[in-house]
Parts: sequence; structure tokens; C-alpha cells
Amino acid sequence: MNGLPGFLRRLEGPQTVGRGPAFWITFAIVFAIACAYPLFSDGYTVGNTVYFFVWVFIALSLCVIWGYGGSLSFGQTAFFGIAGYSYGILTLNFGSAYGFTLAALVLAVVIAALFALLLGYFMFFGRIAGVFLGIVTLAVTLMLERFMAQTAGPEWRIGAARLNGFNGMSAMPPLTIPWSGGDIVLLADIGLYYAVLGLLLLVYLGLRILMNSSFGNVIVAIRENPERAEMLGYDVRKYQLITFVIGAALAGISGVLYTAWGQYITPSSMGMTAAALPLIWVAVGGRSDLTSTVIGTLVVLAAFQALTIYGSQYALVFMGVLLVLTVLIAPNGLVLGAMNLISRLVARRSKGDV
Amino acid sequence: MDIATHIFSALYQFGDAFAFLVLSACGLAVIFGMMGVINLAHGEFIMCGAYVTASTVHLGLPLPLAILAGAIVAALVGALVELVVIRHLYDRPLDTIVATWGLSLIATQGTLILVGSSMAGVGTPFGSFQVGEYSYSIYRLVLFASALGVLGGLYMLFNWTRFGVLARATIQVPHMAAALGVDTRLIYSLTFACGAGLAGLAGGLYAPTMTLVPTMGATFIMEAFVTVVIGGADVFLGTAPAGAILAVVKSVMTSWQGQLFGQIGLLVAVIIVVRVLPKGISGFLLRERT
Amino acid sequence: MALLELRGLNKHFGGLHVTNSVDLVLEAGEIHCLIGPNGAGKSTLFRLILGEHHPGSGDILFAGENITALKPFARIHRGLSVKFQVPGVFKGLSVRQNLEIALQRTHRSVELARGIDRLLTFLNLEAEQMQTAGNLSHGQKQWLEIGMAISLKPQLLLLDEPTAGMSPEETHQTGEMVQRLNADGMTVLAIEHDMAFVRQVAQRVTVLHLGQVFAQGSIDEIVADERVAAIYLGQAHA
Repeated sequence: MNGLPGFLRRLEGPQTVGRGPAFWITFAIVFAIACAYPLFSDGYTVGNTVYFFVWVFIALSLCVIWGYGGSLSFGQTAFFGIAGYSYGILTLNFGSAYGFTLAALVLAVVIAALFALLLGYFMFFGRIAGVFLGIVTLAVTLMLERFMAQTAGPEWRIGAARLNGFNGMSAMPPLTIPWSGGDIVLLADIGLYYAVLGLLLLVYLGLRILMNSSFGNVIVAIRENPERAEMLGYDVRKYQLITFVIGAALAGISGVLYTAWGQYITPSSMGMTAAALPLIWVAVGGRSDLTSTVIGTLVVLAAFQALTIYGSQYALVFMGVLLVLTVLIAPNGLVLGAMNLISRLVARRSKGDV
Repeated sequence: MDIATHIFSALYQFGDAFAFLVLSACGLAVIFGMMGVINLAHGEFIMCGAYVTASTVHLGLPLPLAILAGAIVAALVGALVELVVIRHLYDRPLDTIVATWGLSLIATQGTLILVGSSMAGVGTPFGSFQVGEYSYSIYRLVLFASALGVLGGLYMLFNWTRFGVLARATIQVPHMAAALGVDTRLIYSLTFACGAGLAGLAGGLYAPTMTLVPTMGATFIMEAFVTVVIGGADVFLGTAPAGAILAVVKSVMTSWQGQLFGQIGLLVAVIIVVRVLPKGISGFLLRERT
Repeated sequence: MALLELRGLNKHFGGLHVTNSVDLVLEAGEIHCLIGPNGAGKSTLFRLILGEHHPGSGDILFAGENITALKPFARIHRGLSVKFQVPGVFKGLSVRQNLEIALQRTHRSVELARGIDRLLTFLNLEAEQMQTAGNLSHGQKQWLEIGMAISLKPQLLLLDEPTAGMSPEETHQTGEMVQRLNADGMTVLAIEHDMAFVRQVAQRVTVLHLGQVFAQGSIDEIVADERVAAIYLGQAHA
């Protein structure tokens, strides 16, 4: 890989599982299948797959903050909700002409990131760490849910957008790409599928580069030993804050895509249950690796959806059991454990060949 | 309305908020202060206490005994949870949070499956009394008294009993206590059960005042969290003063702008206090005292 | 010229004075050892110098600049570096990555890789470079952390019991390394209990007792000082 520009070389590194031609060929095949998949499927199934992809961003956000950075945040759904509501408010007021929905996407993510900057400033510069970080972020999330749930009255409106309390906002326009031959409206099927898949690819590769860069080195160092990191001259709190804001932006992307996908958002998307789910995906997948997180999220989501046939409360009990068992038996995550096993086997075999 | 009734009204509101904060938080605070474990299933232990209280009342038990039953059942469940899950995670505090959240999910949804979406409540006893033109619930005064009683009881438990002394020794120097022949595992078990039991007690005490639904725990945990975050690791020097300060914030904000703003006020207070006092009120007091 | 100057440094936790108006001047280019019985305030003094604790009163001057209010990382940027008493390596990361994290703030790309290789050779850890740091032996962890500390090319290196848990042979090697670094111009302040090490490297010794500077001088003067012997004996009796 010597011919590649410097930053592309960082696609591989100690912080991410998967290296060498075998991994990238598998990766290319999986991506090609993902690209071809809508050709062999119906609109509803494709729309449902987009729904799965939408959640991967928030899972990655938790992976970055918790798995790499070592700070456990329960507030990811808060950023999800803020971005989702922001998208709704912006697009209900300004419509979808001239590609404004794309601008709204960016603005909504920025709003979530700014909120994280404010909250994170108080937390990290107040030296809140460990378990306290978890409960402060959770308290903020629950507070937001309660706040949005009581906005039912007609006085709770921002411009043309009614907040609608517990029922949530709906009927915001979907993402729309302006095009010379007429706008392309990304409804929850093939159009949105390719857009989200492309974004996912970019974010995944971008995070691989970031985590293997010197920035990634520092945040992993802070997870391992914050005192030592500080005594090597790194401003620990600044790095933690930046990581937190990046994570919030990723969660915000999920929020916007979710809102645009279903054209609604409700306060319960920030509730206890909603906040627990990303944690389960990431813990089961393997929080300290991006690839494991993506695979884990998709697998657990699919399993969850299959189980809801028997009723969502049964599925949630199962999720709870899965989480407790993962923490007790495979704290590093099931997918990551399996991937490490495979790479060890592969390494052994190639050694045997030589 | 004259000044005296105003003052009474303010005091009543304060007492009500104080009782709620302290009763919600003390179980969480005991477990956190003694073991460094944040129990995210705290709300579900409260729910458990409330459900047991309500069902035993329906079976004909008098309310005080029913509340006691709620606390005891919650404590037993707590001991079981400690044995099966928490015990294996003492050196991984973040994982304990995650695991207890899993438990919380299981408990909430499991209750939904087994008991249904709500349970018949218990009427609030004692009726009310009149001061000026407003009427006040006598039971709220009972709750306030209970909060003080719980604080007093905990103080006696941890300072005057053999268990309390051993528990504090275990917390301060675990390996030393173990070397001296203290069964530290048993101490941790009992402490966790004690915290769970206090949560159950809170649930039992509040059962007559609210609708019983599987997610009722969520009503308590935010208040419990903020009180413990502000209070820090010590129950007496932390939880009680934090409860008092937050009760002022909450009752003032509530009477000014309504319940939601009471809660927002709490959250803002927390974020500001942790910025100023990273180790909470008890950390601040202990530093000043010693 | 004074590199580090502590002026009337006070730190108390509640009523307990951990350091009680400590004045200490470190000349540029010297190896200075800090000794004293347990609880004398040695580690607290280090934490004050590094900015992990803040003094109740007093000033810390480094290379003429008052750094009392600076954050720890900013002090590192000024030219301080530390090796902790309990080896503070990044246990979950490889040896190579540990060194990379230490070096990457000041080195880039090719230069960075070369710097890491040089350090690995210097520390005699080439064979272990891909190992997880948590799996190293205690002595190797000590070496790795020393390597990380000196990779910053500090003007002043603080060593908190650098030879704890080392064999006499390893202790001697560590002493020689400290002297080599010193010959290249690095000033060293070390907390040490091992008197053989102190005798080997120290150009000046300061005895700390009950949070105060109790005595100061060459190692021979300190050993000859009966009062110093008395406080160590006093502790042995207590």
C-alpha cells in the first residue's frame, strides 16, 4: 500500500480489526452485494434495510465515545432526538425546494454537535468521568424526553412546526436532491438506500482513518490511562470533548436520517428503552472496533425485528438478557471475539503454508 | 392569603420535594457510596416495592406492613441480583452500569408481560387538612417524616451496628478488612440488598400516591441520579444536603413555572454544581472538615 | 542557573500539612535525589510540580517562568516529563504504539517511525515491540515508561522511584542510563529509596521530612548527618 497517499494508509492500523488483501477483498464483495441487493428485492424490504442502516450511525457514535474513548455516554439518543427534531422544524418551515433538505441535514447535525459541545464542556471540564458521565448524560436524555412529551399545546410551535407533545412531529419532507430534470425525492426505498449506503461507506472509512491517525492514538491512550496521556503533553479534556462532539454528530446523522426515513419523530425516541438499544448493539458487537460494531448492530437489529413478531416486550426482554450475558461472558463483544478468532486462525494457516 | 399560609405552603412544597429526592436517592446512594456501583435498575427496585405493596394491600394486609413487605421483597431480589450479576463485575464499574441497564430492561418488559400494562392502585390514606384556602395531604407529611426516619435509621445502621462498622471498614480498605477476617463478599451482598430494600421502601411509600405502571421507575431515577451526582459518595454528608438544596430549587421552580421546570431546574443545578464541585457536596464537606 | 525553583510551597489536605513551605532550587544540569521516610511528602511534591495538585500557597518557577497556574499538559510542553511510581504504560496497546503516542506530538511520519525504532533499541525492547504492554514483565514496563518519559526530550525529568522492583543489576543499569541522559544535558529529580542508586547518581540530595526540607547536601554530608539517621531510625522504631 506504499503508493497510496498518507491518509489512506491509515485505513489499516492497530485500532481497527481487518487488514491485508483478504479483508479488503471480502469488504469489496460485501459492498458489491449491498449495491446489487435492491435489484433482487422489493421496495418494502429495501426500505426496511435502510431503517437498519440508519441506526448504524448512532451505534458508531457510541463505539467512538465508549469503545475508543472510554467514556460511557447514555446521551446518544438525546443528540439523535435533537437532530431529528431540528430537521423537522427546519424543513417544515422552509420546505424542500432548492435542496434545502440537505442543508437541513447538515444544520441539524451541527445543532446536535453544538449541544454536545455545551454539555461536554461542563462535563469534561468539570472532570466528570466514569460512572458519573453515564448518569449525567442519561439524566439529560430523560429530561429532553419529558420536555418534548409535554409540548402538546398549540403554544409549542416554532414557526410553522408544531411540536405536538407525546405524539411527536410528522409530515416533514423527505430528503430531496435538486436535479436538472426535476428533484430526486429520497423516499424510504431504493433512492434513500443508495444515499444512506454511500454515506455509511464514507463514515465507516473516514472513522477507520481517524481512529488509526494520531488523534485516534490519543483517545485510545486516554481510555487506557488518562494520567499518563496528560503527562505526555496531551490536553485530555480537549480530546475527550472533541470525541464527544464527533460522537454527537454521528448520532445526529442517525436522528436526521430516521426522521427523513419515516417522516416522523417522537419523544419516545429519546426514552429509556430507545437509549438502551444502541448500547446493546455496540456491546454485543464489540465496542472497541468499528467493523464489529457495524456487523453487531445489523445482526442484533435483524434478530430484534424477527423477535418482535412475538411481541415487542418479549424481544426487549431477550435484548436485556443478551446484554447481561454479553457483559458477563464476553465483555469485549461477540462479533469482535469471533473476528479475532478468525484472524488468528487465518494467521496460523498462512504460517503453516510457509 | 396571609404571610403565614404562604410560608406554610412553601415549607410544605419543600418538604414534599425533599422527601421525594431523599427517598428516591438513598438506596442508590448507599450502593454507590459503599460499593462504587451505579445501579441503573434502581428504578425497577422501586417499581418492585410499589407492586408488592399494592398487591399485598389488595390481599388485605394493612398498608404499613405492606410497605415493609415491598421493601423486604426488593431487598431479597437485590441479594439475588448481586449474587448472579453484580458480584462478577466489581472491577469493571462501567460494565456494571451496562449490565444493570440490561436488568432494568428485563424487569420493565417482564413486568409488562406478567402483570400487564398497569396495576390497580392503592388509595392515599389519611385524607387532607386545610391551611388558609388550600388543602394539603396528610400522607405527604408522613412521607417527609419517613425520609427523615430513613436518614436517621441509616445513620444508626452505619455508625452503631456491627454490620455498619464492618461495612465502612470494607469500603475504606477492602484488602485490610479481608485480611482481618471480614467476609467482604457478604458485606457487599448485604449492602446491595440494603440499597435495593431502600428502593423498595421508596416504592412502597409512594405506591399510594401514583399510578402503578411497569415504567414507573423512570419517574424516580432522574431525581435519584441528580441527588447522588450532586451529593457525592457519602450518604449523610451528601444525600441529605443535596436533597435539601435540590428540594429548594425544585419547589421554587415548580411553584413558579410548573413541574417540568422544576425538573429542568434540577438538571441545570446538577450541571453547574458538578462544574464547581467535581466530587460533589460530600467531597467538598469532607475536604473542609478533615 | 536555576531550572526549577519552588518558593514556599504549601499543600494541606484539611488540617494535615503535606508540604509545609518547601523551598527548593534545582540547578540546570544536576541530578538531584529526593529522599525521606514514608509520608514525608515526596510524591505530593511531585504532583505539585506536575500540576496534578494545586498548592494552597507558594510558587513554582520553571526556567524563570511562573508555572503555578498552568495545567499539567502545558507544563509538559514547557519541558517537564515524569515517570510514575506505579508503571503508567498503556496496558492494552502494543509497546510500539505506546512509544508512538509519546513521540507523535513532536515527530511526523518517517521521522516518527525512526524515532520509535531508536527508542526500541535504546530500551532493548525490539523483540517485544508488537506485544501488548500489559504483558511485559515489571522491569520491562518500568523501562518502557522511562522510554516514553525521555522521548519527550525534557529539560527536567522527574523519576518517582525509578528502580522499585528492579534487581541490583537492573538498578545499576538504570543508574547508568540516568547518568548518560544527564551527560546529554537533562536535569533529573528522582525520588528514591534505594541508597545504592542515590549514591551512584546523585550530585545533590534533599531530605524531606514531615512536609519540610530537613537537610540538603552531597550524599556524604547527608549520610554523615546524625539528625537524618535519627528520623529514619525514629520511623523504624515507630
